[in-house]
Amino acid sequence: MLAYVFYPIGILWMMMSGLKADTVAKATDTIHTRATIRLYTPYTKISVHPGQSITYNVDVTNNSKVTQNVDLWVTGLSPAWNYSLKSGSWDIRQIAVLPGQKESVTLQVTVPLRINKGAYRFYLHAGNGTTLPLTVIVAERGIYKTAFTTDQPNLEGAANSTFTFNTTLQNATADTQLYALNAEVPPGWDLAFKANGYKQVASILVNPNSTQNLTIEVHPPDQVPAGKYRIPVIASSGSTGAELDLEVVITGNYGMSLSTPSGLLSTDVTAGSEKSLKLTVTNTGSASLKKIQFSATTPTNWDVTFDPKTIDELPAGKTAEVKALIKSDKHAIAGDYLVTIRANTTETSAKADFRVTVKTPVLWGWLGILIILVALGSIYYLFRKYGRR
Amino acid sequence: MSALGEKINQWWQLLVAFREKQIRKREEQIYHPFWVMVYKEIADHVRSWRFLIMGALILLTCMGSLYTAVQAMTSQSDQAASATSPGFFFLQLFTSSNGTLPPFHAFVAFLGPLLGISLGFDAINSEQHGRTLARLMAQPIHRDDIINAKFVAALVVISVMFFALTFLVMGTGLLVIGIPPTPGEFLRVMCYFLITVIYVAFWLNLSILFSVLFRQAATSALTSIAVWLFFTVFFQIILNLISSAIVPSPDMAPADQVIRAQHLVMNLSRLSPGQLFSDITTVLLRPTIRTFRPLTLSQVVGAIPNPLPLGQSLLIVWPQITGLVAVTTVCFALSYVSFMRREIR
Repeated sequence: MLAYVFYPIGILWMMMSGLKADTVAKATDTIHTRATIRLYTPYTKISVHPGQSITYNVDVTNNSKVTQNVDLWVTGLSPAWNYSLKSGSWDIRQIAVLPGQKESVTLQVTVPLRINKGAYRFYLHAGNGTTLPLTVIVAERGIYKTAFTTDQPNLEGAANSTFTFNTTLQNATADTQLYALNAEVPPGWDLAFKANGYKQVASILVNPNSTQNLTIEVHPPDQVPAGKYRIPVIASSGSTGAELDLEVVITGNYGMSLSTPSGLLSTDVTAGSEKSLKLTVTNTGSASLKKIQFSATTPTNWDVTFDPKTIDELPAGKTAEVKALIKSDKHAIAGDYLVTIRANTTETSAKADFRVTVKTPVLWGWLGILIILVALGSIYYLFRKYGRR
Repeated sequence: MSALGEKINQWWQLLVAFREKQIRKREEQIYHPFWVMVYKEIADHVRSWRFLIMGALILLTCMGSLYTAVQAMTSQSDQAASATSPGFFFLQLFTSSNGTLPPFHAFVAFLGPLLGISLGFDAINSEQHGRTLARLMAQPIHRDDIINAKFVAALVVISVMFFALTFLVMGTGLLVIGIPPTPGEFLRVMCYFLITVIYVAFWLNLSILFSVLFRQAATSALTSIAVWLFFTVFFQIILNLISSAIVPSPDMAPADQVIRAQHLVMNLSRLSPGQLFSDITTVLLRPTIRTFRPLTLSQVVGAIPNPLPLGQSLLIVWPQITGLVAVTTVCFALSYVSFMRREIR
């Protein structure tokens, strides 16, 4: 009603001084909108992480009887925060609402990456009078850098096993980063970075504010001594970088070799008799071997016995001697046979193939020579008896 | 030119003088009567028709078998090498054949006895028949020298012939296949040569024995041939009969019983000197043969199939060698005794 009274006067005044007229008109608008425009959004206090983006759906309601042109703007946000007002895929500054209707506006606010923990308050203004206070609680401090983390930085195993670390590389900056991946491993060690379905990589591209899973596989050399090894892994781009310390605990490796003192793996034996053979067992690993047992694969009816039968403990790098007694079959035919001798522990085993040449017993040979000598002797006897007559 | 001719003439003169000196020396030298008889016998043998015929027969057949062996080796050398022992090319000259002719060692085993028989069947009885034995006995020589000289002369002829034949085969083989024999192979061939001489000497002794026992040369020749025929043809037939009688069917009887019976038959077959000889030559010329016994599977487990050294091969056939030497010696002893105790006139 008041508006109707002042309206003609305002027009008059406007006609008198053109410059002032606009201000007056605005003033009258403000009076009207204060009561008639309402802003509404359900989530007014949101807890977020740095770098996250919040989308508010705001309803602008016109309670008046006339169509209202409503200006929309935001105050209270520092310049680091980005926001946009959108409706129907357009970036808007003003919206017209029909009487008794409401329009939807989307306010998108991006929390900056470098930010302190705390509550941040800002306002969405509509027209002259209506404001919508909004609060964003930043739950943690924004770091604005790279994070390289893993759940399990320490692994333990034997030297011949593969150590697999599952790590996460987080790019918490505003730019896409190309990280070069490096690791400082002791000489002889092998380390591989694998990403995206187990492809081996040397560098990796991470989008801003996203994470990339990296699998790091570490192969220690077989002969590495037992102990704790620290492996620093570095992901670095031009502007940022992160380091992760991995730890590998080697319990030692198991290795054994079986041979003879001279290295000769052949011997001969007369059929049906025995042959003693000296064997050497060497612990080639870095952990001591316990309960070494010996066995042999032989031709049928052969027998191999060992003295001692088992070696209780063999320290790393040490050599022990074992006597093997090979007993051949009485009916073994002359020629070469294969005898395989094995040394076993629960962890590892070693084997040696021996070529055993079987010789026929010479006893029958001597008997044959004796028979021939008897025959020749009888001839000589005949010569002596009948000759020279 | 004339200087060169003079020089050649000079050398020629020297050569002739040396030769004349040698002949004079030989004429002047006084030999033991035994060796005189041996030389005489050798001369008789070498000039006799039957030796020439037998020698030519053996030479021809052996050259024929050598040819087939070389053909077999060159045409299917890969197959032959993998089938027998690799690296024993030279021994295959004596054992391989392309099927048209028997291999060398089979020919020697077949014709060797005939040669021995032909050299010995009339050793004593022809002398007796021609009444030359009494005249010989009138000379101041020992009686046993006669039979010894007969034997030694024939043995020398046989040895020289087989020595020549063996080296002929080796030389021809060397020319054709171009692979020199390894020392092991050479020793094997030499052992084979010695065994062949002993084997032929057995038949020689047998025929000398018959020539002492029978007055007619024809009788002793036929008897010797009969013995030879018996061992080469009929003995095998008799063995087959025996084995069909005593070896049970492998389907019905336990395995060890079958093996025992077969072992028995095998030992019976070794009563034949020909079987002994073929056993020895097979093992000597095929180094991969490791045993003669029937092999059980348990003996083969873990065995590496590679050739034996010569010593081990000889040990395998040592019983056969002993038997062959013994039977040869026994034959000689018998003929010696029967000749010495005989009334000659």
